[in-house]
Amino acid sequence: MIATALANVFNPICLVLIWFGTVLGIIFGSVPGLSATMAVVLFLPLTFNMEPTQGIALLIGLYMGGISGGLISAILLKIPGTPSSISTVFDGGPMAEKGEAGRALGVGILYSFIGSVIGIVALAFVSPLLAKVCLLFGAADYFAVAVFSLTIIAALSGKDMLNGLIAGLIGLALSMIGMAPIDAQVRYTFGNYQLMAGLDITVLLIGVFAVTDIIMAGFGRKTLADKFAKKKYHLKGYGVSMKEFIQQIPNAIISSLIGIGIGILPGIGGSTAGLMAYTAEKSRSKYPEKFGTGIIDGVIASETANNACIGGSLVPLLCMGIPGNTVAAVFLGGLLVHGINPGPLIFDKSGEYVYGIYFALIVASVFMLIFERLGLPIFAKLLDIPKHILLPIIMVMCCVGAYSSASRVFDVQCVLFFALLGLFFKIFKIPSTPLIIGFILGSMFEENLRQALQASHGSWTIFVTRPISLIFLVVAVIFCTVTVRGNLKEKKAAQAKGEDFDTSEEEG
Amino acid sequence: MTNKVRDLVCSIVMLVVGVGMFVMARDIPRKIESDVGSGYVPTFIAICIIIVAGAKLILTLISKDPTINKKVPPLGDWFGGIATVLLMLAYMMIFEKVGFIISSIVYLFVQMMLLSNSENRKPVLFAIIAVALPIAVDALFAFAIKMPLPVGLWGF
Repeated sequence: MIATALANVFNPICLVLIWFGTVLGIIFGSVPGLSATMAVVLFLPLTFNMEPTQGIALLIGLYMGGISGGLISAILLKIPGTPSSISTVFDGGPMAEKGEAGRALGVGILYSFIGSVIGIVALAFVSPLLAKVCLLFGAADYFAVAVFSLTIIAALSGKDMLNGLIAGLIGLALSMIGMAPIDAQVRYTFGNYQLMAGLDITVLLIGVFAVTDIIMAGFGRKTLADKFAKKKYHLKGYGVSMKEFIQQIPNAIISSLIGIGIGILPGIGGSTAGLMAYTAEKSRSKYPEKFGTGIIDGVIASETANNACIGGSLVPLLCMGIPGNTVAAVFLGGLLVHGINPGPLIFDKSGEYVYGIYFALIVASVFMLIFERLGLPIFAKLLDIPKHILLPIIMVMCCVGAYSSASRVFDVQCVLFFALLGLFFKIFKIPSTPLIIGFILGSMFEENLRQALQASHGSWTIFVTRPISLIFLVVAVIFCTVTVRGNLKEKKAAQAKGEDFDTSEEEG
Repeated sequence: MTNKVRDLVCSIVMLVVGVGMFVMARDIPRKIESDVGSGYVPTFIAICIIIVAGAKLILTLISKDPTINKKVPPLGDWFGGIATVLLMLAYMMIFEKVGFIISSIVYLFVQMMLLSNSENRKPVLFAIIAVALPIAVDALFAFAIKMPLPVGLWGF
């Protein structure tokens, strides 16, 4: 299996696809308004006709490049290209103001690579062990895992848990459209035969994540042309000496571990990982007062953690089919499209593809290290592309992507429906991530619930008598309680200051 | 619109969705005797939506939060937003009838004009991009990916 995976990844076509994906991902990550999620969503339909390893390799390149590319605008414009790079701005921005933009960029790229590699190593070691544990799971346990994931995601996707839950439930409801599992009963098709096969995940993703943003640009067209002051940079090598590199080893290791841990937990993404690693490094540091004034420690903590998060987020995705964050949810859609069903048996049934994913991740990391550094002048220049030209082009590509998923115009029209749903969510401050996760987990949720209830002759006690199921449900309840209490505290604090309590947070 | 109105509208819309889903779920027949049926989970989800939306409605009504009556920041330029949605709708409606190339040329040009302002509006550049991009994408799909896009009434 390993030899086949190596041969599949290290062939010229696959390597070119990874390179292409990584470079495009960096562009999408670096331009504010575009995101890693948008990149993966947009190119997912193009992979349909590809051999699975090649298709997945392209998506991996986009994922890896997209997360890392955010640091370019975070440092040069002081605007994070992706939410993952929010904490990179804290020290990357001041470094640029001090004339050290090049050094910040070099350090960011180098430690993005280091974080990615540590994350991939963790993925390779942890996922087979977790898969073995998951073999003990029955239908009731999988149902509990789905409930656990939904509650965590709902709680963490926004500060208002009710809005998160609404989004997750709407996602579950959308997954009910079409033929039901077990008995193939047709539901909620409203007499439209095109809905019998259910809604396409690609169409949902394109609508909610890409087209909604273009509509929002229409609402904000008066500020679309606003230019931000871009800093100039000079860089030799990666901007870090051997002495500094050795000094920063503990920072890189701790930040990577934080990134991996955050990535494994469902619902939390690179932005939280970066912020937590930044805070941890600041409190561990001998000079915490210098954080925020422009030191490499902050950039290293943020970039190492958000890239390590990639490997971490793939652990539950491969072993249980649970995406760790929004981009991982899109990536899961890509795996399913190519007939790779994540779960504990993935190593037996699709081993060559799993190892292919590991190798593709390593290759994408190396390409990111080399080409993000070499292409910096071009990527910096691309920040100037006018949005009023770029966004309509993306819209056309979205329609092409939706059409090519099943060669039917109905999917193109569904894109607009989901874009309007995304707009409704934005207006009413409902986070979109739980919608996608709910949609993806819908079939797992229903199939396992019905199987478990069939086995228990309709008794719900099966979910509390099986230890694994009970543990997940108890943890879900504890987590909900803790989150609600935390949110109420934050809400009260915000109210005391007379501030609005913003409930929408997105990852990607 | 205030935060309170926003949350009330959201709760009511979700309540209507939940009730609608619940009513429709009751009509889903049960095919297998030992199974709970295909209407069971939709009913469960509909009840959850009703409970969560109801809780949001009640919490909004009894809220003493001083920011609840604060105005929600305006969405922006309504003309730009609604025109973008209508333009997308028109594009998707003519996508198959007129074909990918022509519908995309029209959409791209009009959308670029709509999003640009008097300072950065360059109709000639927009026209070149609007014509070149769909032709290139169509050729890519027809010859490289072997998945032709809709050709429309005029055969291209």
